[in-house]
Amino acid sequence: MDKSIIINGEKYPIDVESDMPLLWFLRDHLEKTGTKFGCGAGLCGACTVHIDGVATRACITPVGTLAGRAITTIEGLSENGDHPLQKAWVANNVPQCGYCQAGQIMNAASFLKQNPNPSADDIDNAMQGNICRCGTYQRIKKAVAEAADELAKEVS
Amino acid sequence: MTIANVSRRDFIKTSGLATGGLIIGVTLPPMASASDAHVDNATFNPNAFVHLQDNGDLLIYCGRCEMGQGINTALPAAVADEMEADWQRVTVRQADGDEEKYGPQGTGGSRSINIMFEPMRKAGASAKLMLIAAAAKVWKVPPEECQAENHFVYHQPSGKKLSFGQLANIAATLEVPTKPTLKSVDDFKYVGKFIPNQNIHQIIKGELTYGVDTKLPGLKYASVVHCPVYGGKLKSLDKSEALAIKGVLDVIVIERLEMPFGSLGGVAVVADNSWTAQKAAKLLKIEWERGPHGSYDTKSYKAQLVKNVESPAELVSERGDVTTGLKNASKVVKATYTGGHIAHSPMEPNASVVWVQKDSCEVWAATQAPKAIQDTLAAYLKRDAKDILVHVTMAGGAFGRKFKCDYVHEAAVISQHINAPVQLTWTREEDMRTGYYHSISAQHIEAGIDEHGAIQGWLHRVAFPAIGTLFNPAQQRAGKGELSAVDNYPYGIENFRSESGEAPAHTRIGWYRAVYAIFYGFSFSSFSDELAYAANKDPLSYLNQLYDANNNPDQQEQAKRSKAVLNLVAEKANWHNRDKLPKNQGIGLAVHFSFSTYVAMAVKVEVNGEDIKVLEVDCAIDCGQVLNINGATAQMEGAVVMGMGLALRTEITFRDGAVVNSNFHDYPVLRINEMPKVNVHIHNSGHKPTGLGEPGVAPFAPALGNAVYAASGKRYRDLPFKPMSI
Ligand code: FES
Ligand code: FES
Repeated sequence: MDKSIIINGEKYPIDVESDMPLLWFLRDHLEKTGTKFGCGAGLCGACTVHIDGVATRACITPVGTLAGRAITTIEGLSENGDHPLQKAWVANNVPQCGYCQAGQIMNAASFLKQNPNPSADDIDNAMQGNICRCGTYQRIKKAVAEAADELAKEVS
Repeated sequence: MTIANVSRRDFIKTSGLATGGLIIGVTLPPMASASDAHVDNATFNPNAFVHLQDNGDLLIYCGRCEMGQGINTALPAAVADEMEADWQRVTVRQADGDEEKYGPQGTGGSRSINIMFEPMRKAGASAKLMLIAAAAKVWKVPPEECQAENHFVYHQPSGKKLSFGQLANIAATLEVPTKPTLKSVDDFKYVGKFIPNQNIHQIIKGELTYGVDTKLPGLKYASVVHCPVYGGKLKSLDKSEALAIKGVLDVIVIERLEMPFGSLGGVAVVADNSWTAQKAAKLLKIEWERGPHGSYDTKSYKAQLVKNVESPAELVSERGDVTTGLKNASKVVKATYTGGHIAHSPMEPNASVVWVQKDSCEVWAATQAPKAIQDTLAAYLKRDAKDILVHVTMAGGAFGRKFKCDYVHEAAVISQHINAPVQLTWTREEDMRTGYYHSISAQHIEAGIDEHGAIQGWLHRVAFPAIGTLFNPAQQRAGKGELSAVDNYPYGIENFRSESGEAPAHTRIGWYRAVYAIFYGFSFSSFSDELAYAANKDPLSYLNQLYDANNNPDQQEQAKRSKAVLNLVAEKANWHNRDKLPKNQGIGLAVHFSFSTYVAMAVKVEVNGEDIKVLEVDCAIDCGQVLNINGATAQMEGAVVMGMGLALRTEITFRDGAVVNSNFHDYPVLRINEMPKVNVHIHNSGHKPTGLGEPGVAPFAPALGNAVYAASGKRYRDLPFKPMSI
């Protein structure tokens, strides 16, 4: 059986213990550090990546279960940092320390795919699992809403 | 302050700075505070460098530490503005930990802006004059005929121009002007405007690296389990199961280092990746001897603090005659306020890489205090502090936690032991359970008022374990220094007495964003609201009355600026129309002066039974001249989030000497769904700029409490209002 995983379009062998969470496979094994460690228990969202397009907490997802799956991390979200969310993040000056922001953006990107036309409450509900200790929530709300509008324009 | 042309200095070559072009160094005068006392004036030790490279790139090396508070945006903006540089060409570099080179680097107390603003402006202004002089030399024209603008120098009469990059090497040979004139505030292009975060493009692509992201060839990874009780010891250790895990390299006992920022003591597992180390650490079988603080229990300790403030305690300060004042008052109001321990829990847990070799020691760490790392490791390794090289990385939040370097000390112990570079990353659980905590506290206030509400006497008792206990564990109570904000509170109080009750520390107490202002802000602003109701006065006019009663000449500015932000926030929050709000809504006001900055908040809430919903928060700030509207606004939004978390729910609970909380499920920090709308209003008083990283946290909790009272008649006097039972 082919034990490999696709990360941002590239194939990598899963040559570690199969219970290693994807987070540590990315951070320590592949040295891709854009995905962050915050709690290790699925409680903060800092480690959010996409597995086949769906936001997932990498810290509680064993890499051994991901053979053949396609992972997108913040490094692979867009070519040049020009995903509508990334642009909205810049336009709204969202980050403070920035540590939680990869997780925030990845979570929002997957959410907007599922719900392209979210209400303010929808955004709150979807983003609740992502903690920001610097307190950038107000700007996150605005940036997600703006990116949704932008995406709607792109589609129409 | 000295500004010098150091382009040709030898030490530049050994400093890790690039060479070539114009390099200007800035030194600051020695400062008064104790931690800064060692500044050496005899040699020229720049605190910051401005480096114009010959390709036109402008690098600014900043000795202060960035942790999301925006210092690496605000200060460079001051340089670029005075220099007439193009902001797009500016890159900010974090300086390595080296106080000989950069002067005091400890970043806390919201002082960076205060100390460094003017010197950075002068450095920029000097560089501009040198570039103009260089151009004048090339063109053989008088410098007065030349002007700098947007990274070029122009000679209007002939229409010639040269770029800053072209001029850098020539400017490097010139003298620094002695008295550069500074721009007038109205001419600023960047300062005081909305400046985007310097790092934003890296952040959104996941490219900015933090302490936890350091990678080195041959790096080993470690995880640590600490003794859960402060002062406890290892009794027995069975490491066989941990060692049996594939990939585990070693298990190392870390002895407690009895220094303020040394390790608590614990056991570390080293492996070839963090996950294996964490997994194996769970398999360690450890018995701890709990030691002298093994029965610490925050519930009973808090009850004891309350007793200690509700009976006479040790006198700290006195003016006038409180006893007579209280006796003659027409009404005496008494209240006791408490607060729990809180944990910083920045999103980036404590992490560092250390490589101890025979004759070198190199550190990569997110830190607020590189000097503390040098001192702690020097003491541990018995080496000279100068030989500890500290690379300061971006911090993923810090809030005071990363002033203490126990996590770096531990990485050094491990590295020394296994003779390899080691990355130690604390788990969230260790971060929460074995940190340095904001003081648990109790305060009791008794005040007498006359029939107009005027204060006749004010007795203020506090009891909390002080941060001083880190340095002197025998300290039994807060002292005069720790009460100075109480003693100098800018209300007009003629008959005043402060007392401090016994409060020994049973855990490590540390600075937390806003520090004691958290509970002082809470007690003063809650109690004045209680007094307003007791006097049958509108809280806003009553607060104005308290400031107006201040006739201490030294406090007139404080009273005036406090009132200005108060009245601004009341107006913005539509205070005067609050009787039109639905019955279960209310607005609460609070003002607090701390870290030389004035902040007032108006919090609007809706109360349904036990449920408190924060609808909107208005903040008015006076931090003197604002350097970056973006940064200032962001700091206040963040302060509201942190203030709201600690006002409503977050509290660290100890039982049997150990912390009970473990992760974000039982330490419920604020999440996005509770985020109220925050409006920030800047009152430009024209004063010197002061910091904003901390002062915004203090007024939130009392403003919230006052709002809840207005909406429901229920008065909350204990922080947090809604503790989670765990
Ligand atoms: S690190 Fe994965 S949810 Fe916190
Ligand atoms: S920006 Fe610092 S934790 Fe979110």
